[in-house]
Amino acid sequence: MSDQAYDAVGDYRFGFHDPENSTIRFDKGLSEQVVRDISALKDEPKWMTDLRVKAYNHFMERPMPDWGNCGSLNEINFDNITYFLRSSDATENDWSDVPDDIKNTFNRLGIPEAEQKWLGGVTAQYESEAVYHSIREDLEEQGVLFLDMDSGLKQFPDIVKKYFGTVIPHTDNKFSALNTAVWSGGSFIYVPKGVHVEMPVQAYFRINAKNMGQFERTLIIADEDSSIHYVEGCTAPTYSTDSLHSAVVELIAMKGAKIRYSTIQNWSANVFNLVTKRGVAHEKATIEWVDGNIGSKLTMKYPAVLLKGEGAHAEVISVAYAGKGQHQDAGAKVHHLAPNTTSNILSKSISKNGGRSSYRGMLQVTPKSHGCRSKVVCDALMLDSDSRSDTYPTMEVGNPTADLEHEASVSKVSGDQLFYLMSRGFTEAEAMGLIVNGFFEPFTRELPMEYAVELNKLLELEMEGSIG
Amino acid sequence: MKYSKMELPSRADHLWRYTPWKRIHPTSVEQVPEAIPIRWSLNEGGSLSDGVPDHSMNDDIARIFLSELTSEKVSLSVDGSASIVHLHGVASGHAAAGRLHIDFHQDTTVVIHLSGEADWAGLHITGSVQANVRAGVGFVNELSANTKFLRCEDWIVERDARFELAALSIGGFRCKNDLRTRLNATGSSLKQAISVHGHNQRHVDHHIEIHHHVGHTDSDLHVHAACNDQSHSISTGLLTIAESANQSDASQVFKNLLLSERSRAEAIPELEVLADDVSANHGAASSPVDPDQIHYLMSRGLGLEEATALIIEGFMQDGFSMLKSKELIDEIRTRLTVHLECELKR
Repeated sequence: MSDQAYDAVGDYRFGFHDPENSTIRFDKGLSEQVVRDISALKDEPKWMTDLRVKAYNHFMERPMPDWGNCGSLNEINFDNITYFLRSSDATENDWSDVPDDIKNTFNRLGIPEAEQKWLGGVTAQYESEAVYHSIREDLEEQGVLFLDMDSGLKQFPDIVKKYFGTVIPHTDNKFSALNTAVWSGGSFIYVPKGVHVEMPVQAYFRINAKNMGQFERTLIIADEDSSIHYVEGCTAPTYSTDSLHSAVVELIAMKGAKIRYSTIQNWSANVFNLVTKRGVAHEKATIEWVDGNIGSKLTMKYPAVLLKGEGAHAEVISVAYAGKGQHQDAGAKVHHLAPNTTSNILSKSISKNGGRSSYRGMLQVTPKSHGCRSKVVCDALMLDSDSRSDTYPTMEVGNPTADLEHEASVSKVSGDQLFYLMSRGFTEAEAMGLIVNGFFEPFTRELPMEYAVELNKLLELEMEGSIG
Repeated sequence: MKYSKMELPSRADHLWRYTPWKRIHPTSVEQVPEAIPIRWSLNEGGSLSDGVPDHSMNDDIARIFLSELTSEKVSLSVDGSASIVHLHGVASGHAAAGRLHIDFHQDTTVVIHLSGEADWAGLHITGSVQANVRAGVGFVNELSANTKFLRCEDWIVERDARFELAALSIGGFRCKNDLRTRLNATGSSLKQAISVHGHNQRHVDHHIEIHHHVGHTDSDLHVHAACNDQSHSISTGLLTIAESANQSDASQVFKNLLLSERSRAEAIPELEVLADDVSANHGAASSPVDPDQIHYLMSRGLGLEEATALIIEGFMQDGFSMLKSKELIDEIRTRLTVHLECELKR
């Protein structure tokens, strides 16, 4: 990388940007007309246009959240955001048809290479819409639907209408209202009964333009006794002005189904990442959120699971790295709404260079949910005295048979561990890197190997210069 | 700030999430009703005097409201003639309120017993533990089963002082407790234990804040709540460690035992840590009575009710086991045993 380029992007590897060659770009700012124009441009059915308008009105009426990092949240200037930008006229299924500049970006991110090696399908979203989409033929033959959300709505309107907004209604919070009003792109997946998608499918989200808002909408439905692993990655260029990423992800796991949703969020440090993720697990179904937050200026994301059917299980593993100027406000919510449901939450965070990491969680057992079990573990590591770590867990127990545990600890890197490793020849920085990788190991071992290697590399980069 | 000018607190704040201000206010929220002063009596070991020093550590709505509600303020001075001082307060009438201040200049244990038939009772206790003093305060809420109760406490612990706070919540109908302690100087230490017995339709809300203002301070908080019938226990803790408070050691443990289908318990143990060289941890657990323990006790000849009662008693007693003050432990445990004898064998 040239010095000039390095100056522009700093330590963030994906901070490069391409020239903005958009085919359609809306003016900045949000109005009902913008919402209607997005819908008209996509030639959507009337029910979706009406829903968007309803959500827009709710967004305008609803105040900003009065909890969390309100100071940072109030910095968002909704009038200075571009709500829709189309970079390519079509969603291609061959990389050679994708416009060169966009293809180059994804090449640099390693997406086509990964697809060939180990993915069952890929959606690549650039700004507001998917520019590339493919799925392995064998999966298609088994009836697996994996499309970008816009195509999903066009081709399978009945399924989308049946499930869209059922897990996260537009009235859920201010940002789910915003997403419902201006959503564009995202993934739509339907896995038929009894089908197990062995290889993970991946979506990659890239913001390239300045002051861009990315509002993808993802809906995954795993029918009875099926399973799928969905992986998403996110990056954006480093600009001096802020961008907004506000996604909504809805998962529905039918009886006996299993959905694993893995995220490595590595937005640049000028992106507000305000995401609502929630899944519904029916009888004996499993939903797993594997959630890594490394980038962004402010992340507020609490993957949630509604355990609605007897014997359902939820697993949330999340890690957060908060560096300079970053606030990672992440956590998990599990609502035990049915008997004999179980959940595990593991949260790990590291704060460094004045970063702030917060765990915010909710564990609820309703009165009729007998025999529920849950365990929550939060560990925080602080690498210097300028950083901050908070834990805000909530346990609401309405049934006497529930067995719940929560434990949390905040500590710094142990001097003994550093000494041990350094006595075996590692430098202090290497030793620190090893300890941090070890700290995150329960998370990385749940990722596909390529992602785990990538995450370790990212962490090593972030850790550079952390000593002395 | 006047109460009438204050905004009602938001339920987004955990302090007011489960017991909103309007549910604990004696009348309608815009009013400051006339209150009868709580009547205090003291057997031995000290004296009561009128007036309290300015001790405005916090100025939230509950404290401002209590300060406007009562003009009668009482300070307790202990003279060291007794190892344990019993202070009895009686709340009566439609609304009763009190303001009590205790400064500990010598090693003493004070147990405050609050009883009475008032419809509503409010009490604000402040105090400090001076350098090198070992002090203990026990608080036994024995109000009538129909009383709404608001209690605020603000304590400051000075250099190398050891402070133990024990609270037993067995009375009152709807109780809101906002208890804050500031570890103000190096070497200060706090051990705080709270046991709640939820029965009938009791709603007991404890908010406990412990602030480590400087380094080399330690705190240990245990809250045990056993909830029966349709009772509801809420425990929210906020443990803050200031940026300069390195080498602090803080821990909080919240345990709930749910004994009936319609009982509920909430636990929110929060941590805010701004220093890196600290040991801070918290834990929360909620579970039913362990069937293995029941089986063990029944196999030794106890009936189911007796076995359950014994487990509840053990669970609630256990909350106080980390305290060092024998007088305090004995007194609180005795009160607890008497209460459970009456309640569980009624």
